Order: sequence, then C-alpha cells, then structure tokens
Amino acid sequence: MNPVERLYLDTMMGDPEVPARSLRPQLLAGARARRRPAAPTAPWAEPYAGRVAAMDALLASAGEDDWSRVIVEGWTLQELVAHLAAKDGLLAAAVGAPVLGPPMGATDALGRTGDVQAYERARSPEQTRRDWRAQADALCRRLADLEPTTPATLDGMEIPVRDHILARGLETWIHTADAAETARVRLPHPVADHIRPTADLCARLLPWTMLLSGLDGSGRTLHLTLTGDGGGEWQVPLGVEDPRPGPPDAHITADVVRFCFLLGGRGDPAGFPADLDGDLALARDVLATAPALSGP
Amino acid sequence: MEAPYDDRLLHQRVVGGDESALGEVYDRLSPLIFGLALRVTRDRVIAEDITQEVFLVFWERPLAYDPERGTLRAWLATIAHRRAVDHVRAEERRKVSAMGPRLFEREPARLEDAVLAADEAERVRQAVTSLPDGLREVVELAYFGGRTYRQVGEELGVPEGTAKSRIRLALRRLADALAEEEV
Repeated sequence: MNPVERLYLDTMMGDPEVPARSLRPQLLAGARARRRPAAPTAPWAEPYAGRVAAMDALLASAGEDDWSRVIVEGWTLQELVAHLAAKDGLLAAAVGAPVLGPPMGATDALGRTGDVQAYERARSPEQTRRDWRAQADALCRRLADLEPTTPATLDGMEIPVRDHILARGLETWIHTADAAETARVRLPHPVADHIRPTADLCARLLPWTMLLSGLDGSGRTLHLTLTGDGGGEWQVPLGVEDPRPGPPDAHITADVVRFCFLLGGRGDPAGFPADLDGDLALARDVLATAPALSGP
Repeated sequence: MEAPYDDRLLHQRVVGGDESALGEVYDRLSPLIFGLALRVTRDRVIAEDITQEVFLVFWERPLAYDPERGTLRAWLATIAHRRAVDHVRAEERRKVSAMGPRLFEREPARLEDAVLAADEAERVRQAVTSLPDGLREVVELAYFGGRTYRQVGEELGVPEGTAKSRIRLALRRLADALAEEEV
C-alpha cells in the first residue's frame, strides 16, 4: 500500500479532525485572487462565461513553448487567443460594451482578427491572455443588463444577442478543446445546463446551414435526438421560413457534444457517428451541410 | 480507477469557474485533507496552511486533475501528502543546517535567552563535550558537521530514524544542561 493510501485509511479510522476555525471564507477569497471565477452575467450568457473561465484555466498552465505552438488555422496559441478577443470585441461593439485592444478599423471577423493579432504580437502572451479575459468579462458585464431577445448585428446578421453569445460560447469551447488537444490535456465537458442551450442553438441553425450549402429544406422536418448530459429531443423545421415543425421526415440520433462540434467544424460529416432513420438522404444532407457556418 | 459521477460534475463546475463548486469540494473533503496533513506534520497551523493550499491548487489548475485516472479524493490526498512531507523535510533541513546556537530556535523561550548570551558558542561547545559519547557524536556530526539525518545514520551505521531520535535526545540534554547553567 502506498503511503498516501495508508495515511488516508489512518485518517478515516481516527476521529475526524477539523481546523480550529473554518477556513472556507479564507479559501474562497484566496481562490478569487489566484484565478478569477466565471464573470457574473445574465443567466442566458452563463454558458459563455463558463467557457471563458475554462479557457483561462487552460492558459494558466501554458508555458512559453505552448504559447508559440501552432494550434489551428496556422495560428499560435497567442494568435488564437487574440482571435477570440477580436470576435468578442465585435460583439461587444454591437451591444455597446467597451471594446479593448487596437482602435476599431475592420468590422468583419477576419479583418478584426488580423488587427488584434498584429496588436497582440507585440505584447507578451500573458498580456494577451489578460486582454482577452478583460474583453470577455466586459462583455459579460454588459449582457447582465440586456434582455436576451435584444437584436444585435454582427457580420451583417441581425439575431437576438442570446444566440450571438451562445455562438461565442461554442467557439470558445471548441478552441479550448483545440488547445487542450495540442497540450495533451483532457478537457471536461461544460455542465449539462450549459450544453443544453448550445445544442438548441445548433439545432436551430440547421435550416441555415442547409440553405447556405444550396439545399432548401422547406416543408421538411427533422427529429433530432441528442444523447448525453445536456441532450434532448428536437423537432426541427428545415426551411428557414417554416413557421412550425411538421411530422418528422427523418430522424438523427447522435451524441450531443459531437453534434455541437460538428456544427463548429470539428469532425468529418461523412464519418460522423449517428443513427439515421426515415428519409436517409435528407438525414445525410443535414449532417453533410452542418459545418457550413463554422469559420475560423 | 475512474472517478464517480459526483467528482466529474464538481470538476466540470470548477473548470467552468464556478466558485460554489469549490466550496462544495472543500466541505466534502477538507476534514480528510486536514486530518492527513496533521498526521504527517503534527502541527495544526501548518496542517491548516497545507489544507488551504491543496484546495487553492485544485482551483487554480483544475485541468491537472483527470477524472479518468482516479477519484478527486485520491488526487487531493496525494497533493496534501506531498506538501506535508515536503514541509517535514524542509523543517529537518532547516534544523540541521542551523549550526551552533541557532539550533535552539524552536526550544522554549528561556533557552533562547540562554544561548543568546555573548559566550553562547563556547558554552554550547562545553555542554556538548559533557554529553555521553553516543549523543555527542550525533550532535557533532549533525550540527557542527552539517550532516543530514540520513548522512548521520550512514556514518554511524544506524537507521535514519535512530539517528533522528538520538539527535532529539541529545538536543534535549543540551537544552537541560544550558538551562541549569543559566539558573
């Protein structure tokens, strides 16, 4: 038996020991100083705030080598974090939150990404991390005062701010997973309460991903079953103007996290593990076009 | 061994920056962690410090824990054990390297006063000379020769634990001798 196990057993057998005074308040104060908790925000923005905190936890362990390693899109970890800050900044601008980093020039995702990356390259990775986190927290603070249905325009798309921030949460999650994979760190999933609304956004995007791929699903309905914590059942009308779902034409059953990642451009639609039923051609079209909205 | 579902949920919440999850982990596991640290260090203040540090480390670097590889309890207990052992070792090193008069730093206050006298070094040497051979030897090696417990044991051909207890006994005798002289 190793010493820790023996000590552990000894401790369990003995009278429970407690510190003279509760250390809990001190602990929580100390914890806040060591690593910032998820930013307080509106309940519908919490999935995003949680992913920001998770990315920050990953970045806390990044060494000099990690920061200069290419993660995705040919970007180093530092450039990837700058990219997240750039897109968060565009949403911040759209909802009247402070925009950090270089003065706003380009207002499209790629243009702004280039500007912020150029600005951050002259700074230390630790500064980039702080800038990104400060931008994310400023966005969270602003959202605390907004209704989820407030329209916001980003890259020419006017949709409720709630959907924008869920998309930011998904992108932050996916890039954290990219960086964790490179660092060989196992990233736990978000809690079910955060996965569920993200999966719901992904389900509602399906008519758009089909349309953007040149397929019109009008009048057709998909029964989507997503398994695992945060999953559920969806009846998805596949036409962007369909007012409500009809009787299902096809049924797809898949893992909820894999499904969200497929929409986010991770995973090959052809080899995607899913059970298909009903109109198989339709089901395959849905999966094949699912990554259409994913960008860098 | 994989971690139970509860551990996974708490871990997910801590990674997501949920402070209340840290509070729950603390409520659940701090008696164990504190008890373990206390057993190793035998010092309540140090054990409290170690307990705090263990939970802070988990909060600050939650991704260092992998639920696929074991329970949260085992993970935190391992950190606590390592920190407690590190503390005990550092304490030993500190005592060992504190040569001459400084070796009484943690003895009762009255003795500290005694060794702070101007002729302290000479008095300590005299007191050492008056120790029985077996005890004088270990003190000379450990304190004047700067050896560690293990090295003392090796030189005398006795186990480290025996060397350690002889040194403790010798220190007590020395302290007594110096205290008597002071009266």
